[in-house]
Amino acid sequence: MKKKKQVPEWMNSALWSTPSDHGRFDPPSPPPPPPVSVKEDSRTIPTNQNSSPPPFSSSSVSSPTASADDISRQAQAQAQAQVQLLAELSRKVIDMRELRRVASQGIPDAALRPTLWKLLLGYLPPDRALWFSELTKKRSQYKNFKDDLLMNPSEITRRMYNSNSNSAAHDIDDAKSDTQTGLLLSRSQITHQDHPLSLGKTSIWNQFFQDTEIIEQIDRDVKRTHPDIDFFSGDSHFAKSNQEALKTILIIFAKLNSGIRYVQGMNEVLAPLFYVLKNDPDEENAAFAEADTFFCFVELLSGFQDNFCQQLDNSICGIRSTITRLSQLLKEHDEELWRHLEVTTEVNPQFYAFRWITLLLTQEFNFADILHIWDVILSDPEGPQETLLRICCAMLILVRRRLLAGDFTSNLKLLQSYPSTNISHLLHVANKLRVQSV
Amino acid sequence: MAAPPARARADYDYLIKLLLIGDSGVGKSCLLLRFSDGSFTTSFITTIGIDFKIRTIELDGKRIKLQIWDTAGQERFRTITTAYYRGAMGILLVYDVTDEASFNNIRNWIRNIEQHASDNVNKILVGNKADMDESKRAVPTSKGQALADEYGIKFFETSAKTNLNVEEVFFSIARDIKQRLADTDSKAEPSTIKINQDQSGGAGQAAQKSACCG
Repeated sequence: MKKKKQVPEWMNSALWSTPSDHGRFDPPSPPPPPPVSVKEDSRTIPTNQNSSPPPFSSSSVSSPTASADDISRQAQAQAQAQVQLLAELSRKVIDMRELRRVASQGIPDAALRPTLWKLLLGYLPPDRALWFSELTKKRSQYKNFKDDLLMNPSEITRRMYNSNSNSAAHDIDDAKSDTQTGLLLSRSQITHQDHPLSLGKTSIWNQFFQDTEIIEQIDRDVKRTHPDIDFFSGDSHFAKSNQEALKTILIIFAKLNSGIRYVQGMNEVLAPLFYVLKNDPDEENAAFAEADTFFCFVELLSGFQDNFCQQLDNSICGIRSTITRLSQLLKEHDEELWRHLEVTTEVNPQFYAFRWITLLLTQEFNFADILHIWDVILSDPEGPQETLLRICCAMLILVRRRLLAGDFTSNLKLLQSYPSTNISHLLHVANKLRVQSV
Repeated sequence: MAAPPARARADYDYLIKLLLIGDSGVGKSCLLLRFSDGSFTTSFITTIGIDFKIRTIELDGKRIKLQIWDTAGQERFRTITTAYYRGAMGILLVYDVTDEASFNNIRNWIRNIEQHASDNVNKILVGNKADMDESKRAVPTSKGQALADEYGIKFFETSAKTNLNVEEVFFSIARDIKQRLADTDSKAEPSTIKINQDQSGGAGQAAQKSACCG
């Protein structure tokens, strides 16, 4: 038998798998799993409707049976976290290190989430005295983006014409009729370059047609975002206006970031942000959710945008290298599992981790669980990408027994439709991985 | 039938790897779901990167395990998805009969195949969403057929929604590939494609099997 690096005992703990036959010592109990509470109207949705519910066999995660004691301790811990968060939030200048420390244990009250996420993403400054002016500035900036970027070309040319005609005296015969007919341009005023049929690269219309393609793509994907959740989907006015907001944010982002523009999957990353901010109990905040979400999205993506960039796929900062880091993390913590997955059954981590990483796990879990996971991704002091990789690695370790018993097909199926699991356990294991690697 | 021990465990005679490509939104994932699970849903999420399904079918008394890879349509994913072209034995080129741009892009997809796939890969052209009202149709059947003829490949119009021709497409390309594999076998060339282990790219473990021993 070949020499293998010993798997740390805790990985085989009864908490997430059946007890191993050799002597084990129990790890400290993980923070007891709070019933993932999202009190808004989100429903749990199956991540994959076509796979039969995974039988939680001996090798899979088994929830510990929570005793009454556990439950009361859990309630206590949550109450304590809530008190600490509220205390932090009421400071004049928020201590971000402390806030991160508390929030990374989970955010028990969904009502606090919008403000916390804005702080954690750096959209709100720690000094509360600055919040009002900062929000006012950003919201007006967003309004300007909308005004400037979402105009159609006729509107642009009309404005150009207007400013021209204002700055210089002009003697167009039909100027008067122009004003009467809503300022239609007289033919001579449209330069050849800006004629709709112009093939010039700088033509406004050429740009417009290129944008149209991206806008169609965004439209298609926004309609396919969480199709099972009323907030995002359906014929209600509510869902339609939410879709409209998502579309606008993505279009403006694409126009302002010409290097990346729109990449499929951004819709999935945007959705939880908008959902949380739109459900802010503060009515004014909820009313400006679109603008605030835009800036939060930019902040969030600034840490992840390399994963979306095709030109960087083969560079050290692109998605492939991020996936390799996940693979190394697994090897470091559980070489046996790594070897079985990547060498014996030849499951290329790209097959599952590409989606896990680029979408920040948004297609792997139900919506309430995603929010819970994101609380940790956003608040962990190590930063979102490192935290995400640790969580991905923990996902593999949690199902290690099934993976070790599986072949290529069953392993790939398992990882492409990850079984629903106890998220608190998952995050606990992910947290352990940090302790181990220090 | 005396099967070697290694084969006795396999639950199929042939493993065939297929790949679905085509523009975003033409219905690749829906086609695959219809074929692999027999269901249809209009509420579909965007495919990111690459997805995968399995279905075992029977052809002329042989069990054929189809391993079908579904790809994201957007250009951005090309560096990731083209890596899988090489291992594919058959490629389904899918367009949407109500979306002319998706049809015009088929030529680009074929160029992609020429660049990245094996030379002898089987191809099939698929015009999906054929259930849609004629008023919405943008690509007449004859145009699809003409393009398929030009490339010398088979052509089907399908509907994942009504299950029109879905089985036929997959069976047709599977039959052609099986035939190709059997021909290769009978020429006694070393088989690199007959794989009895359920593994990706496990060419090194490919079991030898001649066409006459079935």
